[in-house]
Amino acid sequence: MNLDQLIATEELCERYSVAHTFIRSLNNSGLLEVITVEKREYVHCDKMADFEKMLRLHFDLDINLEGLEAIKHLLDKLSDLKEENLALRNRLGLYE
Amino acid sequence: MEFIDYYKTLELERSATKTDVKKAYRRLARKYHPDLNPDDDSAKKRFQQINEANEVLSDPEKRKKYDEYGKDWQHAEHFEQQKQQQRSYASGGFGGGQRQSYSGSFDDDNFSDFFEQMFGGGARSHGTGRSPQFKGQDFNAELQLNLSDVYTSHKQTLTVNGKNIRLTIPAGVENGQTIKISGHGGPGVQGGPKGDLLITFKIVNNTKFKREKENLYSSVDLDFYTALLGGEVTVDTFNGKVKLTIKPETQNGTRVKLKGKGFPKYKKEGQFGDLFITYNIKIPTNLSSKEKELYTELQKLRT
Repeated sequence: MNLDQLIATEELCERYSVAHTFIRSLNNSGLLEVITVEKREYVHCDKMADFEKMLRLHFDLDINLEGLEAIKHLLDKLSDLKEENLALRNRLGLYE
Repeated sequence: MEFIDYYKTLELERSATKTDVKKAYRRLARKYHPDLNPDDDSAKKRFQQINEANEVLSDPEKRKKYDEYGKDWQHAEHFEQQKQQQRSYASGGFGGGQRQSYSGSFDDDNFSDFFEQMFGGGARSHGTGRSPQFKGQDFNAELQLNLSDVYTSHKQTLTVNGKNIRLTIPAGVENGQTIKISGHGGPGVQGGPKGDLLITFKIVNNTKFKREKENLYSSVDLDFYTALLGGEVTVDTFNGKVKLTIKPETQNGTRVKLKGKGFPKYKKEGQFGDLFITYNIKIPTNLSSKEKELYTELQKLRT
């Protein structure tokens, strides 16, 4: 695991002014992957966009954890449907 | 430049209280927030309008100015100057309001010319500080390429925000596919990681082949006699020609598979899809009387 690509959760708490319990709750709900390396917790930089999105939805729009879970589920579903739609559109080219 | 009715934007009466404004903003923000409407430009635009309306109506000073001048906003600056001359003290400006609105990593600060004209460029307040940026902003770009361009991997230089980025476009990339170039987005804030560059490919088919993922499809006209009696035909593949043996009595619409003659498989070097060729049998036209006679003979043999 390349540590350069990991951001310590303490640093995230400080930068984003959030409690560590918030990150733990996201992790427990499967909304954010937290990696433990030598007893220290990190978030991969690839997951930062997801993390920031959860922060915005939670703090700016007052959406609670259960709401975030539901939204994540629906957004994932939307993303799958978009991919399927794109594949079908590309396939439609065969018949045009 | 047109007058913008911020009350209408937030679906409010002019008598709305500060609480009403906040409630309306929250309600509409939840509906049009870009995080909840990914890749939806109309929702993003609407959200920007809502943000702007909230910026004005949630700030008592800005709201007062907006209410005071209304549709005469074009003369607002002139009236303001006159007022200032009458007063012996300077006005307080418009930048000090507490913004309740959202500040994300995407571009939500495209305020209208109307806003800029009325309140000035420095009048925006930025963020509540709850969700500051750490990771740099992701950049999105669209790259249009011809199908023939993506048959082989090739290097291309893109200019993104004034910076040249040389990247390798892997063979077999698909229409609508997005690839992420890590670390080529905006700079991180206070030591945060850089954002990413997300490139979405638009592949224009400039060939006679149809493509579905790694498979290619084409049709070949076959003359009646070759289809009937068999023979050979030379067909185009994506990167050359091949000779095919036609079986006797080949039917119209017969499809043959040329294994490995399709498109490269994305990120699987040396692996290719298949090419499917459909035969279109061309029946002779403008028959001579002799030909008609002979075909009639043949028909009799069959009945």
